[in-house]
Amino acid sequence: MLKVERINAGYGYLQVLRNVSIAVNDGEFVSILGPNGAGKTTTLRTISGLIKPSTGKIHYNNEDITVLSTHEIVHRGISYVTENMNLFVNMTVFENLLMGAYIVKDDRRVRKTVNLIFDVFPRLAERKNQLAGTLSGGERKMLAIARGIMSNPKLILIDEPSLGLQPNLVDSVFDTLVKLHREGITILLVEQDVIASLEITQRTYLLEKGEIVLEGKSEELKNNPHIKNVYVGI
Amino acid sequence: MNLKGIKMGDIRKENSTGHDMLFTGNMRIKSSKITRFKKNTAAWVAIVVTLGIAIVVGFAGGISQVFNAIIAGGMWALLAMGLAIILGVMNVPNFAHGESFMVGSYVAYFVFTPIHNYLTEHPSRFMSAVGPFIGFIMAFIAGFVLGSLIERLVFHPLRKRTKARWVMNAFLLTVGISFILSYGTNLILGPNFRGIPRYWDVKPLIILGAHMPVDRIVAFLLAMISISVFWYFLKKTKTGRAIRAVSQDEIGAELVGINIDFIHTLTFGLATALAALAGASLLFMFQAYPTVGLKPLYFAWFVVMLVGFGNVSGAIVGGFIVAFLQTATQQFMGIAWEDVIPTLVMMFILIVAPSGIFGTGVRGIQEQ
Amino acid sequence: MFDFKNNLKDLLSKTGFSTAGIIALVVLLILPFIPPFNNEYILRWLVVGAFLAAEAVAFDLTAGFINVVNFGFAAILGLGAYTSAILTNTSPVIPVQVGLSPWLGMLIGGIIAGFAGFILGFLTLRLRGIYAAIMAWFVGIALLGIVRNIPKYTRGSLGYSPVGLLETTSNRPYFYIAILLLLVIYIVSKIIVSSKYGLAFKALGQNFDAARASGVNPTLYRVFNFTLSSFFAGILGGFYAHYFRSLTPKAVMHTSKTVEVLAIAFIGGRGSLWGGILVAFPFVFFIEYLRSALPSLPGLHMIIYGILMILVMIFYPNGVAGLIKWMKTGISRKKKYPISLSGS
Repeated sequence: MLKVERINAGYGYLQVLRNVSIAVNDGEFVSILGPNGAGKTTTLRTISGLIKPSTGKIHYNNEDITVLSTHEIVHRGISYVTENMNLFVNMTVFENLLMGAYIVKDDRRVRKTVNLIFDVFPRLAERKNQLAGTLSGGERKMLAIARGIMSNPKLILIDEPSLGLQPNLVDSVFDTLVKLHREGITILLVEQDVIASLEITQRTYLLEKGEIVLEGKSEELKNNPHIKNVYVGI
Repeated sequence: MNLKGIKMGDIRKENSTGHDMLFTGNMRIKSSKITRFKKNTAAWVAIVVTLGIAIVVGFAGGISQVFNAIIAGGMWALLAMGLAIILGVMNVPNFAHGESFMVGSYVAYFVFTPIHNYLTEHPSRFMSAVGPFIGFIMAFIAGFVLGSLIERLVFHPLRKRTKARWVMNAFLLTVGISFILSYGTNLILGPNFRGIPRYWDVKPLIILGAHMPVDRIVAFLLAMISISVFWYFLKKTKTGRAIRAVSQDEIGAELVGINIDFIHTLTFGLATALAALAGASLLFMFQAYPTVGLKPLYFAWFVVMLVGFGNVSGAIVGGFIVAFLQTATQQFMGIAWEDVIPTLVMMFILIVAPSGIFGTGVRGIQEQ
Repeated sequence: MFDFKNNLKDLLSKTGFSTAGIIALVVLLILPFIPPFNNEYILRWLVVGAFLAAEAVAFDLTAGFINVVNFGFAAILGLGAYTSAILTNTSPVIPVQVGLSPWLGMLIGGIIAGFAGFILGFLTLRLRGIYAAIMAWFVGIALLGIVRNIPKYTRGSLGYSPVGLLETTSNRPYFYIAILLLLVIYIVSKIIVSSKYGLAFKALGQNFDAARASGVNPTLYRVFNFTLSSFFAGILGGFYAHYFRSLTPKAVMHTSKTVEVLAIAFIGGRGSLWGGILVAFPFVFFIEYLRSALPSLPGLHMIIYGILMILVMIFYPNGVAGLIKWMKTGISRKKKYPISLSGS
């Protein structure tokens, strides 16, 4: 479904990604792990079109999307939930969700999805007329994910959903991701929480200093010595 | 503008103002009741003072002066609204906004004058009534086209090339545009004033004892209708919501599938069109000449500075406040002090309320 | 702050003179004796060029360093001009007949203008870049309005003709005075900018909050910057009054006059100080040439300024100076990523 081929990308004079290649197949749940500054977010930003790679190609469903602009990529069914969430802070929860469905033409579908969201996230339902800027951190994460779902994407890129959340909220967020995956949505997850990520994903890439150093089935990587040493602290 | 109000852990995105232009609500989280009250105090003081000025002006100059102020208010509101929206959505301080007004004046003149001449030969009640509106519509269209072209040809390339020091660069760009437009018009069309005595040759209406020329009433109603329609557009339509979204978080807007380039072009086009419409509807008062845009530019910016950047709803109210200030100055000190006294008032206000009287305590413009 | 090193080149570079700069200066100094430049008509252009260059340097001090476009620059210059004109007046055309020497008038004009800059600096203290620029614009308009509205003392739009700085009608000595002013303004600015003050200016200009958090007192540095720049402007205003000897508020203080200086400073290269000097002379010559060759197209130079400014902003935001610097460092084909995370 998604093929990232040897991209080099960065910001201005600073190169962050070096020949990074990633593949995500239909219906998979894949994660990219790595320390801070490795380039995980940069990878997602490149895939979503927010930044353009200097070399390399990105293919989605056999279409070259490397030079497309973000909104065109969103139209093709890719949704990106950023680390900063980028919520519309002076719109209500409901309005944010509506905006999430910007590309959806069918009103009935939008309403259906909204009801679905409110079922899965009762907290959001309670606060549906509250300004997004007044939500707590966990609620905002939920809203960000919810908004990302509103466009009925086939592929969701999620950036560090557990960051800054209380442990019990982290659980519920990951639960939601698993649920989404079961619905058939392909997920590419960027995370720092190695243990949880290896638990819920099928395949994992390890990104260090802008390069992919490891790749494999999450189940197998749980026993990988490098991962155990550096990231799990055993 | 207010250094103190920003401690709210804001993560500023490059081109977002982070607040909704329509509502002066606070940007993030817990604005304590106290800060909200404090901000509103400044606003209420301003409104009360304005009402006081209105009463004084009314006594000194008669009710017609008050009406004149209200009409000017509608005009400044329309202009300031366009300016505020360009600021809020594109993060561009537009110094060429007065030239948009100028273009509208000229278009209206060159459209209406032939119609008017035709009507003197072939009188027609219908055409006499409708004629000016053709000029208005053409001015609106011309403004929209001009604005869209400018955005595509000038701002779009700048955005693509360098986001660094965006605000200052964009501002200087608009200074360049302003001078090209005004001096260019001077070159091509000459410095002569082109005006019309009136749009509709009917008796003035008598409202509350004052003789109000129909032209002025129509101009005011036009301004009010435009503002209302635009407000509705922003609030209720999908595209309008998209515009608001871009002003709040540009990346977020991109991520929900909004075409940012399109929104920018549309916004600048609309704002220019509104300014042009203002110029057209006031042709009987302002006339068309190359530098006619200076005064509208000054007052539009004054309103925007007064109410806080990027604040669209505030700009509407602010337009009226400034109009009364202007009228009072005219009344008691003469028109020559029109550009001096407001500045002194602004200086005073800035000392007292640095983020504007309706300020949201939010830094409206990225200092980059 | 300014220690006298034996190494002349070191001293010169500290005050902003590269080899090219010295050569240019020498050329400028002897130019008025070489035909066709020794023609009075052309000499006048040289004076205007030097004057514009000096303006650009004073303007760049604020715009290029603390990142505030002083949109009231021309008005402050005009303040100095009118101050000097009034104080040096001896004719009964206005009630003030103090009759000071124009040199003293220039100085006092500078001081008054500096004071205005001081106020402006304070006023815009809480305002960031663009807000400060707009406020400066308002203040400039107000100053113009005040000068226009007190014709009893300024003759307003009727115009006023101040006394001349020198007895002579030749332009040549005025040229050297203008060059002297240009040098003084440039050297002083350069010294300050190379010192810790300059660093503070730049810090404030780049990131106001970070600078403040690092202990840079914005009040002190911003106000100082405005005051100095305005002081220079006021002195130049005095020169304007006693050289051109024709003052009307609109001709001296109008926003369009600020834009002329602004265009030169930005096209020359903001923050370079010398960029404006490089650009000012050719521009003046070009404009004067246009004016004589195409008199039926008034204001053409402003349109050209506008177009150039747009081109510069989009394609060469660092102006001519930036372009030259870029060429000097010889990067013809920049590697896209000279810095890499993995350190290879």
